[in-house]
Amino acid sequence: MNHLTAIFGHIGGTLLLLVSSVKFIGTLPRQRARFIEQCYLIGYTSLPIVTILSFFIGSVLALQSGYSMENFGAKQFIGTLVGLTMARELGPVMVAILIAGRVGSAVTAELASMKVYQEIDALTTMNIPPERMLVLPRLAAILVMMPVLAIIANLCGWYGGALVCQYTHSISVDSESYFIALKTYMKPKDIIDGLVKAEVFGFVIILVCCYIGLNTRGGPREIGASVTKAVVASLILILVLDYFVTKALLFA
Amino acid sequence: MTAPAASSYTASPFVGRTFGVTVAGLNKNFGRTAVLKDINLEVKPGEIFCIMGPSGSGKTVLLKHIAGLEHATSGEVRIGEFDAADPETRNKVHLALVFQAGALFNSLSVYDNLALYPREHRQCNEAGIRERVLHALSILSLEKAANKFPSDLSGGMKKRVAIARALVMEPQLLLYDEPTSELDPVMSATLTEIIATLREQTAVTSIVVTHDRDLAFNIADRVAFMMDGRIQGVGPRADFKTPADPVIANFLNPVIDLKNPRFKQLE
Amino acid sequence: MNNTSQTIRVGLFFLLGLALAWITFESLNGGHLFKPRGYTLVAGFANLKGLKTGDEVRMAGVKVGAVQLTRLAPNRVEALLTIEPGVQIPADAVASVEQSSLLGSNYLGVTFGTPGGPLLKDGEEIKTKPTVDMSEVISQLGTLGSKLEQVIGEIGKSMGTGGEGGGIFSRIDKLVTDNGPKLTESISNLQDITAKIKNGEGSMGKLINDPKLHDELLAGVSEIKLAAADARSFMSDTKGIVADVKSGKGTLGVLLYDDATATSIKVKAKNLRELSDKINGGQGTLGKLLADDTMYRDLQGVMKKADRALDGMGDSGPITAVGVVAGALF
Repeated sequence: MNHLTAIFGHIGGTLLLLVSSVKFIGTLPRQRARFIEQCYLIGYTSLPIVTILSFFIGSVLALQSGYSMENFGAKQFIGTLVGLTMARELGPVMVAILIAGRVGSAVTAELASMKVYQEIDALTTMNIPPERMLVLPRLAAILVMMPVLAIIANLCGWYGGALVCQYTHSISVDSESYFIALKTYMKPKDIIDGLVKAEVFGFVIILVCCYIGLNTRGGPREIGASVTKAVVASLILILVLDYFVTKALLFA
Repeated sequence: MTAPAASSYTASPFVGRTFGVTVAGLNKNFGRTAVLKDINLEVKPGEIFCIMGPSGSGKTVLLKHIAGLEHATSGEVRIGEFDAADPETRNKVHLALVFQAGALFNSLSVYDNLALYPREHRQCNEAGIRERVLHALSILSLEKAANKFPSDLSGGMKKRVAIARALVMEPQLLLYDEPTSELDPVMSATLTEIIATLREQTAVTSIVVTHDRDLAFNIADRVAFMMDGRIQGVGPRADFKTPADPVIANFLNPVIDLKNPRFKQLE
Repeated sequence: MNNTSQTIRVGLFFLLGLALAWITFESLNGGHLFKPRGYTLVAGFANLKGLKTGDEVRMAGVKVGAVQLTRLAPNRVEALLTIEPGVQIPADAVASVEQSSLLGSNYLGVTFGTPGGPLLKDGEEIKTKPTVDMSEVISQLGTLGSKLEQVIGEIGKSMGTGGEGGGIFSRIDKLVTDNGPKLTESISNLQDITAKIKNGEGSMGKLINDPKLHDELLAGVSEIKLAAADARSFMSDTKGIVADVKSGKGTLGVLLYDDATATSIKVKAKNLRELSDKINGGQGTLGKLLADDTMYRDLQGVMKKADRALDGMGDSGPITAVGVVAGALF
């Protein structure tokens, strides 16, 4: 019971954090520098790992589906399968998981240490709401960067799949027919759905990580505990939200 | 109250007015532990008010209540006519808290730490901000530290930067949390001087949480003694030089007894 | 990291993202995202058969637009179609709901109409025709099949060993086998004769092959006359044989002069003629099948549909499979 009320408390707290951050949306133009710094940290520095990871996700996807689709004589649809899976599912989810591990943990660690070393309290007494200075620029940055990362992930995944299809002997679907299959059955909506998902995941990750960081109590040890909590919560939320967002997008 | 014309320090005048603080029937529990028990205090505008007491007696928690960082279980804290717990109060009262460890922003240079407040509140242009920041730095002889980062500073430097940051805010109420702890005697004396001079020049109400006798007995207008979450006694600093209360007396003038039977087992 | 280079990197990065997104959409959709939306037509149906928003509008199999909205109207359902700009649809074009796969994905087919005729404008209504359900078509195909089978069985019976006195083919076969040796003999005799003539043997041969003999021939006309007399007697022999045949002696005679056999053959021939007449006239199921144009076209349509359906099934296979799996899970 206590656990349950605690969970409701956290949900409420997160939503309140969202509301009190969005309240300051008007201050965003003059927080330009901070926003760009966060864009840099969230987006630009994540580029290499997103590229590598999604390339190999696409490759493995092509390899596995090539292996199993051979049984149905449906090898010519590998492009479709890899394309749709990357765009609709694995692209956004893998980028989100990566962001949770790479950016979410850093955000929580930073905010938790600010909290533990009373920097947050100092901000509060200085009448600078932490939501405005710390949360809002991050939320804005993730909203701008997430689609960019997701689209890069999509393309890298597709090319990874194409390369594997062409150069694996047991599959040998040339990349031209791979991309034709991919194009034929992909609608712009598939891409947009994926981007919407990425957007939702990124936003929730940053929001939750900020919340957990800002609500750290105790000493330096709690910083580590908060980071663990934040990453676990992010991963759970990504996969749970994935189901609901997908369902909403498919049947909306 | 006017500042003396010739002084080694020149601080910016406070904006508008300064505020007194009233604490009435304040109780605070952390879980089942009562940390503050029925605190009643009256701090007059413009005075230096010291809160003394052993570690863990609840001094810092009381200070956080005044700063609006903690919310009372019962009772209330008022800054002038405003409720300290109400976030709106911060728009009406310029309140600065000098944290024990400084609480400097680790990701910002000393200069940016000081410039944050005027920048965020858009009080003046960058040139004006620069003037204000350099002025505050010079008061605390920190000019050379302007481009350093907090992690490069010593404890004493951090405290001075924290005070400088408070000065830039042009506070109407200044709270110090253990300003002289962990400092050598010379630095403690310097900080004591600074606190007194700031009050003299700006007439700002200063509440100092400390267990530094020298600080309290040299500059405090009044002193409150806290013990186990209660106010044990309040009065002018002269009253505490020869306290009637044995508990206070023991704290202020501890007897160092090397023959204490408690330490027998160590031998 | 100074601020300017950070800003530049973030800016470049964002532009890269925008460019990639644009390229993706452009290549997926032929730039649809950024093209003008085109114009709207209304199509009314009694039954939409599961046509839904987003389904394609195809003209001769080429995508020319999409279903924008479906709605209920009094006594019918309406589909609002967004047609790509530049695609002209004549006023007499007819729209119908078509199935692109057996698993139920639909599109709206539009016929060409009269080229050069008046064109449909924004907001106008396109003519529609109801379409046959796939299941109906399949059940019709079933009955057609069983009828075909029956007809083919009957033809087989009349041709084969069934019926009175054996089938046509068996009789002809018997005729040939019975007279086999005789026929062979006559043919070999004939071969003999021609060979002999060629080699100049015998009178005829010599006559044709030997030039000297030509003179002798001229010289001895009397001999020719003799030969003519011989020939006459040969002719009378032949006449005798013919008379034998005429009087119905021997197999050939029987074949040609036995009344019963003759009538039997005649009846068979008549039946065959009747059958072919009927077939030509388009009577009976087989006749209809062969002669009736509409039936043929229907059948062709059905086959095309089935073909397309199979294509569609193949095409949408993996996606539908994913959908089915997902559906089954939740």
